[in-house]
Amino acid sequence: MLTRKLGVIELTKEKIKIEDIPLSLRKRYLGGRGLNVWYLYKYLKRGVDALSPDNILVIGAGFLTGTLAPSSSRFNVSAKSPETGFLGDSNCGGYFGAELRYSGFDTLILRGRAKKPSYIFVNDGEIELRDASGYWGMDTIEVQRAIKADLGDCEVVTCGVAGEKLVRFANIRTGMKNSGGRCGLGAVMGSKNVKAVVASGSIGIKLAAPDKMLEKVLELKEYLLNSKIIQLLGRLGTPLLYEYSNIIGAIRTKNSQLNAWSTSLNAEQFEKMAEKMVACSSCMVHCRHRNKLGGEGPEYTAVGLLGANLGIEKPEEVIELSNICNKLGLDISSTGTILAWAFELYEKGIIDKKITHEKLEFGNFELIKSMLYKISMRNGFGNILAESTNATKYFGSRSKDYLIAVKNLPQSDPHDVRYIKAFALGIATASRGADHLRSRPTLEIFFKLPHRVKERIYGRNISPEPTSFKGKEKAVFFSENIYAVIDSLGLCKFICHGFNSPHLLGYEHFKDLIYYSSGLRFTKRELVTVGKRVIDIERLINAREGITREDDTLPRRYFEEQMKLGVAKGHRIDRKEFELALTKYYKLRGWTENGTVPRKRAEELIKL
Amino acid sequence: MKYLYAYPERCTGCKECAIACSLKKFGECNPKKSAISIVRDEFERYEFPIVCLQCDEAMCMTICPQNAIYKEKNIIKINKDKCTRCRLCVAMCPYSAITVLGDEIIQCDLCDGEPTCVKFCPTNAIEYLEETAELAKRRKELVKKLSLK
Ligand code: SF4
Repeated sequence: MLTRKLGVIELTKEKIKIEDIPLSLRKRYLGGRGLNVWYLYKYLKRGVDALSPDNILVIGAGFLTGTLAPSSSRFNVSAKSPETGFLGDSNCGGYFGAELRYSGFDTLILRGRAKKPSYIFVNDGEIELRDASGYWGMDTIEVQRAIKADLGDCEVVTCGVAGEKLVRFANIRTGMKNSGGRCGLGAVMGSKNVKAVVASGSIGIKLAAPDKMLEKVLELKEYLLNSKIIQLLGRLGTPLLYEYSNIIGAIRTKNSQLNAWSTSLNAEQFEKMAEKMVACSSCMVHCRHRNKLGGEGPEYTAVGLLGANLGIEKPEEVIELSNICNKLGLDISSTGTILAWAFELYEKGIIDKKITHEKLEFGNFELIKSMLYKISMRNGFGNILAESTNATKYFGSRSKDYLIAVKNLPQSDPHDVRYIKAFALGIATASRGADHLRSRPTLEIFFKLPHRVKERIYGRNISPEPTSFKGKEKAVFFSENIYAVIDSLGLCKFICHGFNSPHLLGYEHFKDLIYYSSGLRFTKRELVTVGKRVIDIERLINAREGITREDDTLPRRYFEEQMKLGVAKGHRIDRKEFELALTKYYKLRGWTENGTVPRKRAEELIKL
Repeated sequence: MKYLYAYPERCTGCKECAIACSLKKFGECNPKKSAISIVRDEFERYEFPIVCLQCDEAMCMTICPQNAIYKEKNIIKINKDKCTRCRLCVAMCPYSAITVLGDEIIQCDLCDGEPTCVKFCPTNAIEYLEETAELAKRRKELVKKLSLK
């Protein structure tokens, strides 16, 4: 279990080192996101150009990835983000993470830049750097099929054509639709001249207590499959979330000019387009649609950001756009946000044909489709859009007022967070920019939960109203910590406490799964500590790149414009209240009033 | 006599069955070292559980030059002491249901009547059923499908 290795691939020098991962490091960071950011902090130098050979790309499977533990498929990819200039980190499901572990490795670090197009082949304890000239230029599906045809049984992560062209929001991809979506890490892979990392292995993960593990997982299976939300997710997938949010009036629509959209995009419509639901490795939820248009998905983010946010109403059009993004290797969240931004700028006359070469408008499916190809090939106006939030350089400073991004990262959550204050604080403080998967305190939106339940989960003195900031720093703090642990374990948030339901798996379950698989004993408190450590290290990485309190903020629109539709009508974020909540959040984290990690704590984290 | 039945249309490809099998039989999580194989290809769009059918006239049993394969209460078993790892059974099984990994020949023994894979499958894509009951059920399902169309 703990014998999985670290592989360091020096691309420039064509040298490969294989090392043990020290047990002390394991205990402090577990695996996945935790170990990744630790290595990133250790090896990444301040201020390097994210697309230069000086950036490093870390790929790491979670502590439990590839085991019998439910939904333990996940791995993280981390580097300095070319989209934001801050921490880039992305979590991905599918089958690659498990296969990486079966091949004998937990973590791979890619440094430098290969002289020619290459791929990395990891096979039963060995790593090879191989020629990829035959694969260069292929889309994410073609390349995976070609590699599998050439090498047989294996799992592939690739950067697609968007990554090759250094599109700043190119993702890394595996399978039909699994993506390490956020922060443009596909571009980092492309900049290293690496088309793919291929894993194949038959080195089983020996567990400390097989019988106990079998017993425990069987028990958890019954528990999970009896949960209503898990059953719904298995039938409808993430689009399920669209309807809830749309009813409140919390769906980003047309670049957040509006906050609700058509019921034609409700989950049932997508269910009709599904051939079969498929799963990730070890997953009992099977939330992925194999759609009738030749791909997989869409996810809720696609429904929101390629649908409502771009003014698209037909489910089949959303599916097609989502399939194309996946094929090209574009992050759907950034794509939908950047396009909607450009469309509004055009509507408002802030940009015009001189730069766009054609009329931009919401709801124009053909236009959007062609834009996806242009972005991924960096053709014409697509070359500017490929710069993501950096396009303000070309659009002028007024354009910033309409940009839905935090820390230069286009917002991923289709939620318009002006109504749900805990969400707002969460996307403002998330370590990788405007992102919901770092702290989404979903309980704020799903149900009108009894006050007691909220208190039990998040702590005392929390307002039961989603529209109040009171106590919400606690909800964010709690969620960030547990999600960091979940990402480090390689589990999917869907089966975990706090993400979709107040029930499901939490620290107590994690403790058992860790113990039965590795023999390592953690207390609940120690696990929370791991989460806090991960968040603090991430803050240190960002601080090195110059982050300050000013960066923990929200899009201007959320402060200054009221929501127009539905239950949420009239809501916005009050700057004063927001700042107060931020201060309280820093306090909970033990950071200074300016959002920095105190020196003593920093030293302690680095020392080991 | 009960047998394993696979329903590919229900299988999501998660491999939990295979991982559970390897953990039960070998103490490790390793879908390649499992008596049930999940053949999946998301690009070709299929997931297919392959299990030992416990054939009456089992090719593996007939072909084994060492007579290492035998039946015990209708369940096919391999005598590890007799087996020389020639892998002829693996090559000859018409259903590719016998697996080999390193020097391990892996064949399903139905966990002596309590198949682990079945317990872990979240979608009932593998079931352990009486032969006759199963056949009747599948036929009925087929008629339903046909008459609706
Ligand atoms: S557990 Fe069930 S759904 Fe998963 S791979 Fe096995 S047969 Fe298919």
